[in-house]
Amino acid sequence: MALVKEEDSHKYMGFALQQAKLALEALEVPVGCVILEEGNVIASGRNRTNVTRNATRHAEMEAIDELVEQWRKDRLSPSQIAEKFSKCVLYVTCEPCIMCASALSFLGIKEVYYGCGNDKFGGCGSILSLHFGSSQTEQGQGGKGYKCRGGIMAEEAVSLFKCFYEQGNPNAPKPHRPVVQRERS
Amino acid sequence: MDSDAWEIIHIPDKPTFSPEHQPTLKVYASVIKPNFANTIVRHLCKIASLEDLRHVKRVRKKILPDHGEPQLTVILCLAPEDNDDDMPPDIQKLVDPYELSPFITEVCKYAAVSKEEWEEQCKLWPTSFHPPTYNIDGIGGFSEEDTQSICKFMRVAIDLAVCGHKTIVNAAVIVDPSVKRIIASETDQVYPSSASGDMTSAETKSFKERGESDHCQSIDTVTDASSEMCLNGILENLNSSLSTVACLNPWQWSLQSHDDESKWHPLKHASMVAIESSSARDRYLFPNSTDSFINNHSQPSDADCPAKKQKTNSHCADVHNDNKEALRDPLIEKPYLCTGYDIFLVWEPCTMCAMALVHQRIKRIFYAFPNPTAGGLGSVHRLQGEKSLNHHYAVFRILLPGVAHNALHQDLKCVTAES
Ligand SMILES: [Zn+2]
Ligand SMILES: [Zn+2]
Repeated sequence: MALVKEEDSHKYMGFALQQAKLALEALEVPVGCVILEEGNVIASGRNRTNVTRNATRHAEMEAIDELVEQWRKDRLSPSQIAEKFSKCVLYVTCEPCIMCASALSFLGIKEVYYGCGNDKFGGCGSILSLHFGSSQTEQGQGGKGYKCRGGIMAEEAVSLFKCFYEQGNPNAPKPHRPVVQRERS
Repeated sequence: MDSDAWEIIHIPDKPTFSPEHQPTLKVYASVIKPNFANTIVRHLCKIASLEDLRHVKRVRKKILPDHGEPQLTVILCLAPEDNDDDMPPDIQKLVDPYELSPFITEVCKYAAVSKEEWEEQCKLWPTSFHPPTYNIDGIGGFSEEDTQSICKFMRVAIDLAVCGHKTIVNAAVIVDPSVKRIIASETDQVYPSSASGDMTSAETKSFKERGESDHCQSIDTVTDASSEMCLNGILENLNSSLSTVACLNPWQWSLQSHDDESKWHPLKHASMVAIESSSARDRYLFPNSTDSFINNHSQPSDADCPAKKQKTNSHCADVHNDNKEALRDPLIEKPYLCTGYDIFLVWEPCTMCAMALVHQRIKRIFYAFPNPTAGGLGSVHRLQGEKSLNHHYAVFRILLPGVAHNALHQDLKCVTAES
């Protein structure tokens, strides 16, 4: 599935890693992403679960919300927005979790590229395979899948997680155990 | 409405089997001499510990009718499912010294969840049975008082889903069960048509007004007649179009007609909105608890849209009072996400929402109707049974009176076979 040239995919993942580093500086779980349209970055996001106290504010959700806000401001209709998403490509430093993988299917995104796998919550192959879409659809609607490939600059993504868990998650309930597992909160 | 007619059933971590049809595994076993028993078992625990079969007793003791001595049989190791003569070498080594005569037998693969299952299991090979409590209230049954309050909160959710909307939507009510207080109550915001005028004004009301007086009041003063009306409304609509229930049709958001006046978002399913609202409540009631890095690193994104700003301002006036209240009332503790909270949903959440509730550390989920298209709690996927997840909630379905024959309930059989 060589959809994107190797050097291009490294360039885009580099942008996503940049977002992940910003998350780390903000004492957040270091995951970052960018969304592209025709090769241009049109949105970026990083994990903001601690500052928002909302554990669903993953990088993907942040970037998606940025786009939806913008397109609604531009007065695009729902079907025009769906059309837009169907041309979007996501680069994210860690495999989307089950929540985000579902959301990406609902939106009908075109392709997803990720760095390291997510062996606890991964929704693109590790735990569930939501990128295949759903076979269970009524009225022939929906169930959209998307192309998905992992392992792009995975070591860089993992080393950010290591940094984070060495410093400990500041927002975990106290007293907290030393964090040894790699996880996205 | 009589809450006796409402039935609460636990949706377990794994699909249930009839007691006679439980999955089994093949193992090697052998009769052993009683004087070797301790040594063999100690040895086997080192070289062939049965990690996934903790419920299975290693040694079976049988009193044979002809002699007084009990006969002991020990499980040596797992047997390959297909190949019969492939015993691992280190087990093979024990055969001669301990005078073993290995044979293949079957044991139950999963721990029993009911007494009936357990009794059936022991016919095959003895297992242990721990009535499931898991420290989560309710799996072992609810008290009358708990049942009453659970039904009340489910009625609040149904009211929200039906009343004041042009079409039926899903609703989510997050509750702190320790003080029976509503933390957040929201509906789908996927379609502009689903949010009626008064929902928009509810957006700008404070949490204190909305969460802690509106709904607490509505719980106490809701007349049986009005919630009966909503319940009937939902029942009538169950056979017609439910296309605007976000979790049931998560891929269909783009089919809506264009209405740029009102707010909508393809992913704003009721659970997601309720989580957002509960985290906003947390931030307002406990503004300083995550220290300085909040202000330094807040990012200009969705949090800065005008509507939210307005919301923030309207809350500022209340923060002072809320804080005072928080100080005075020892029952209000700073929550860690939604730890210890319940959520009441009219429909089983989709996989996105079900995972969001794992992330936010919800303790118990109650829903009224299953979600055969995208359900994440038993209908399509079953997140409560995914062992790798870092948090596990207990899931319950509330069976409403008078809906048993509905078409949506075709899969009811598979969830009601319950302990
Ligand atoms: Zn995610
Ligand atoms: Zn949903």
